[in-house]
Amino acid sequence: MIQFSSVAKRYPGGQEALRNVSVEIAAGEMVAVTGRSGAGKSTLLKLAAGIERATSGTVVVNGQNLGALGETALAILRRRVGFIFQDHKLLYDRSCHDNVALPLRIAGLGREEVGKRVRAALDKVGLLERERSNPVALSGGEQQRLCIARAIVNRPSILIADEPTGNLDPDYARAIVDLFVSFNQVGVTVLLSTHDEAGIGRLGCRRVALSSGTLAAP
Amino acid sequence: MTWARLHLLALAEAMRRFAAQPLASMFSVLVLAVAIALPVIAAMALRSVGSAVQDIDTDPHVNVYLTLDATDDDVKRIGELLKAHPEAAQVRFIPRAQALAELKATSHLAEILATLDRNPLPHAYTVRVRTTAAERVGKLRADWAKVPKVDQVLADFEWAERLGRWVSFGDRILVMAWLLLGGAVAFIVGHLIRLQVLTHREEIEVSQLLGATAADVRRPFLYHGTVQGFLAGGLAVALATGLAAWAGYELRALTPDYAAELKVVFIPPMETLAVVIAAAALGLVGSWIAVARELKRFSAKA
Repeated sequence: MIQFSSVAKRYPGGQEALRNVSVEIAAGEMVAVTGRSGAGKSTLLKLAAGIERATSGTVVVNGQNLGALGETALAILRRRVGFIFQDHKLLYDRSCHDNVALPLRIAGLGREEVGKRVRAALDKVGLLERERSNPVALSGGEQQRLCIARAIVNRPSILIADEPTGNLDPDYARAIVDLFVSFNQVGVTVLLSTHDEAGIGRLGCRRVALSSGTLAAP
Repeated sequence: MTWARLHLLALAEAMRRFAAQPLASMFSVLVLAVAIALPVIAAMALRSVGSAVQDIDTDPHVNVYLTLDATDDDVKRIGELLKAHPEAAQVRFIPRAQALAELKATSHLAEILATLDRNPLPHAYTVRVRTTAAERVGKLRADWAKVPKVDQVLADFEWAERLGRWVSFGDRILVMAWLLLGGAVAFIVGHLIRLQVLTHREEIEVSQLLGATAADVRRPFLYHGTVQGFLAGGLAVALATGLAAWAGYELRALTPDYAAELKVVFIPPMETLAVVIAAAALGLVGSWIAVARELKRFSAKA
């Protein structure tokens, strides 16, 4: 479960991204965070993933109050949360295999186990044949799927995606959305941000709307 | 097992980064090796000088040479006078026959000395005195020079003592050189690792976002710095030993008669090992400081 209680986030420059946000996402639930650019969607997702810390209020993920965790504990928590970044955050000087293997190498898994899991993740997103390719050689949609493979390779209980269908053509976007639905169907909590209203309809999930850093009526 | 595997992976990653830029890595190691080799060479040079002078008697001695016509009574009288002096700690008589025999045995003048029809050397007393103060030694020399049948009074220990002081001063300079060049090694490794960190900045940021702790990020860089230091230490010892071997060969060729005294002293195996370990430790320290500084600059931000 992910629980936000009166959460506010102010960045060092003074920009207030979130104000008094309280929301709960149950385990195994799929939630879409919507809102315009600058509404605070990405900040909310980063707080849930332990990438950012709340300025005030509490964020609890799987029973752990993230504000009370030290840097090392927070990093270890991030290993259990799959995050798909809006700008992919891929390493373009490494192969697809190496990109997907990165979370497993960080966790210290053996080469054999890494290879097995990477191939399974790439197979899940339909990129097994591109295992040795460089991400530069992939299309935008394929790069997005590569990010998903990297996010699921550690078998996380929570999957968070920041604008996963942004800049994708409708067919690719539908394929990506279907992937998230399939993960959610096997019990993974899915939290994603989007401004694709049509896509939300297809997802058929709960919607949390943000406007200027506060919760808005859906 | 995971802990050991993490370290093995970090070492493998460090070696991969090392091998990724072979020429640059080699030059880095060479620069470090030269910095480490300098005090090693200085240490060997000082030890060689120290070894050459250690047999020289640096106790304060004053030699009292009698005139050639001094009789046995004169020898006895002067001996008693010297022994009775409060500044004399020990008095040793060297008969002129013994002096000639020693000169023949320890120098290359035996053939020339054999041609002489009489012994040109006088009886002498070697007096170990209780003082090294120039003023008091000067007074002793003046007093004893006035004694009848005393030809010459020489206090020739001063140069040896001065040499000993120079060697001791050299030791202290060497400690300073070790500290300075050790700091330089840590600084150079730190700088090289800092460049490595900047080169891998994107990878570090992504790794942190995916759950790498500061220790996970730091580990390969620490191994990289340590390996660099270790290789540089080994190369420095090899360079210094090679140079010393060459110097020793040249020295023997130049001064064959004094080769036994002027031999090059190599640093012993345990100290060689200590140099290599110290270089590796400096590499570790330098890289630790550099990585810690750089990681503070960019924390996990998406």
